[in-house]
Amino acid sequence: MTSHFEIELEKLKGIIEKIGQLAESQVSESVKILLQEPGVAEEKIIKKTESKIDKLDVKIDEICQSIFALQQPVASDLRFIMSAMQISNEIERIGDLSLSIVKKAKNIKEKHDLIVKFSVGDITKQVELITAKTNNYFLTRQESTIGEIFVLSKEIKNKSEGTIHEIINEMKTNSKAVVSGTNLIIVLKHLERISEHCTNIAEYVYFMVNAKIIKHDKIDDILPRE
Amino acid sequence: MKDIKIKVNDLSLYYGEKKALNEITMEIPANKVTALIGPSGCGKSTFLRCINRMNDLIPNVSIKGEMLVEGIDIYNKNVDVVNIRKKIGMVFQKSNPFPKSIYENIAYGPRINGIKDKTQLDEIVETSLRQAAIWDELKDRLDDSALGLSGGQQQRLCIGRTLAVSPDIILMDEPASALDPISTSKIEELIHQLKEQYTIIIVTHNMQQAARTSDQTAFFYMGNLIEMGKTNSIFTNPVQKQTEDYITGRFG
Repeated sequence: MTSHFEIELEKLKGIIEKIGQLAESQVSESVKILLQEPGVAEEKIIKKTESKIDKLDVKIDEICQSIFALQQPVASDLRFIMSAMQISNEIERIGDLSLSIVKKAKNIKEKHDLIVKFSVGDITKQVELITAKTNNYFLTRQESTIGEIFVLSKEIKNKSEGTIHEIINEMKTNSKAVVSGTNLIIVLKHLERISEHCTNIAEYVYFMVNAKIIKHDKIDDILPRE
Repeated sequence: MKDIKIKVNDLSLYYGEKKALNEITMEIPANKVTALIGPSGCGKSTFLRCINRMNDLIPNVSIKGEMLVEGIDIYNKNVDVVNIRKKIGMVFQKSNPFPKSIYENIAYGPRINGIKDKTQLDEIVETSLRQAAIWDELKDRLDDSALGLSGGQQQRLCIGRTLAVSPDIILMDEPASALDPISTSKIEELIHQLKEQYTIIIVTHNMQQAARTSDQTAFFYMGNLIEMGKTNSIFTNPVQKQTEDYITGRFG
């Protein structure tokens, strides 16, 4: 017989899956708007999803608070609930950053040319991929995924830093590019932050499964040895 | 290296033909609280009673293996059981004060041990009641009957009575299961304070109580010791699936 407590845990798991999927689609939508010219309808979708994410984030906090107070969870249950609260927090931040990307994208003039020139599309593809992989890691708990997430995050960071460097050089020689360039730099930093939130989520999933806190460990110590 | 107070080697206990404890091996450190947990009938209380030979009083009980207290096997024929019980006090689930005054409840044990001097007895009564965190509540009514105290006070009085004969080890069999949350909290705080001077072993069905009060926890199931470790590890990341299932309430 499934206990009342187990039903609560399943409910919580379901909500995290849902909020994770919303964040994944939020990132994809914001990237789509960034790479193309934004339409008002698309921006409305982003805002609506953002509001859904916020509501679920609060819902997760409420459920966790209630479980802590009424059920006094231990062992794997305790780790799951601790992780749920942290993961929800990270996802909420991903939602905020996605919305901010859309807002900043509006201030980029001749956006298409700049995006092509600095290969921003390569970075956005990787950010979409890391978000999807992170969701998948939570769902499947497949150990090898965490390594892929960390490798991707490192690649995104390196690419973003290189691109930002190029944009700064462009702005030095072309003063007309300063406003758009600055906004594009902010967008790149947001994309980088999204990938960092993904690695944070992966760390909480790892803790949930393995009971080991790896927050400040080096990537090489976490990746499985060949 | 931690100081080991009790060392148990392959201890088995039989009620007639029935094996109630199966080759238990464990070490209990000095000045720590060790919690014994497990479902009803798992053998935890039977094991607790082995530590001061209380099972000797039950007919048809036979024991194999060793129970070394400070290196001496208490089941050795040359060991005097009375001396063991002086050294190893016990507190039960239901408080059981003598139908005497508060003072006499505490003075009873020391008197039997030959202490007659009133000043010395007064001193023991005060020290024991202070250690049991109940002196301030009872100091002005020492001649009142112990039976007039509340359940929580009676239980702390019984702890004081145990302390009066200066034991090294205190066994507690569900000492707070019949008490309200305030009395329970007082008993738990008391356990925390007493471990500085005594080695405490507590049997409890209350998982949170085991988690709150103990330094290490042993999980028993069907007469077997399934897992023993630091309480923090047992309640955050137990090694055995049976332990995980039990403490998370998914047993059976």
